[in-house]
Amino acid sequence: MITTVTRRRVEVLVDAPLVRIVRDLAEKAGFKGHTVLPTLGGSGRGGSWSDDQVTGGAGAKVMFVAIASRETADRFMDALAPLLDSHGLIVAAFDVDVIRPQKFS
Amino acid sequence: MFDQLLSPVILFFLLGAFAAFARSDLAIPEAAAKAMALYLMAAIGLKGGIQVAENGVTAAFLAAAFIGVALSCIIPLAAFAALRGLGRLDALNAAAVAAHYGSVSVVTFVAGSEALELAGMPAAGHMVAVLALMETPPIIVGLMLARRFAAAASAPPGPAGAFLHETLLNGSVVLLSGSFLIGLAIGKQGFAPIAPVFDSAFRGVLCLFLLDMGLVAARRLREARSLTLRLAVLAIAFPLVNGFIGVLLGALAGLDQGSAAALGILAASASYIAAPAAMRVALPQADAGLYLAMSLALTFPFNIIAGIPLYAGLARWMSGA
Repeated sequence: MITTVTRRRVEVLVDAPLVRIVRDLAEKAGFKGHTVLPTLGGSGRGGSWSDDQVTGGAGAKVMFVAIASRETADRFMDALAPLLDSHGLIVAAFDVDVIRPQKFS
Repeated sequence: MFDQLLSPVILFFLLGAFAAFARSDLAIPEAAAKAMALYLMAAIGLKGGIQVAENGVTAAFLAAAFIGVALSCIIPLAAFAALRGLGRLDALNAAAVAAHYGSVSVVTFVAGSEALELAGMPAAGHMVAVLALMETPPIIVGLMLARRFAAAASAPPGPAGAFLHETLLNGSVVLLSGSFLIGLAIGKQGFAPIAPVFDSAFRGVLCLFLLDMGLVAARRLREARSLTLRLAVLAIAFPLVNGFIGVLLGALAGLDQGSAAALGILAASASYIAAPAAMRVALPQADAGLYLAMSLALTFPFNIIAGIPLYAGLARWMSGA
């Protein structure tokens, strides 16, 4: 029977050109890794958006996903807080069960 | 003018726009659209490099480069004042939009070069280098305007290098400049073996790409929420005024008809590849929907349908032909 440990998964929906900023803040908070996922499109208060490679990705969004301990995740979200409105970020965090917890400290 | 409207490039563009307005499910896969954009940039860069390899660096090239860079620095300042005064736009968004109008649109230039060639007045190959030179200075000017006049324009978080990286090394600048240098190095003889890919297919790919641009531009226009009538009028007035000044300066500098028209096309065009990505990094608080709607949904179609033949006609008239 594999043993699992609870960790915190943080997801950030961010404009493609700004993902570098989110990645740097995650590394500074102590995340050991992350994954960036493409998105097809969606809509929100600012209207519709879609995967838009022709405009250099300026109108496209990506999903930044990272898993770590609660402390690291909290540090990361504190760092993101001032950018939520100015950079139009959507942030969600939830508990996940992981195996090999040492990879997500 | 009517001939220009019946060119396959324009017709495909109009087809794309019609499909988007009619809410058809017609779509070009993003990866294919991106690949076509890369192909067109590489092809136009190669062609320019080969022509310069044949003719060398001439006084006309230096004059065009000087005028181009000067225009790319001055246009954002004038556009900023117009956007603040006439467009009633806040300083931050005015600076972001102004940067787009100073910078240039590669696809407008490609479509323009094609139209000029078909009209028997091809632009000199070195105009590709002028295009590359005009792409980044306005982005820096726009950022400086924002820093000077907009309280909300704080320094972007993260290393300042991210902005410079996005501005100086964005894909279109690297590919365009790189393929220009490759063309310069290989010359006409070295180009011959790869000509079937970069020459023969060029017009067909341009048509398909313009089909996608019609779809993208019309969808942008449909979804533009923050676009006011004043800003829409400015999005048409900017290319008219800038294009006229570009052609006039080109003619006064003694450039050939095609190159003067190409300078007008460059001055009239608004960036929607390099500038939006750089502005998103440098001024994330600015409304991306607004600057993309103005440059991509209004100025780009105007230039493709009416602007290019207008600047070409103006260049021809000024040279007395």
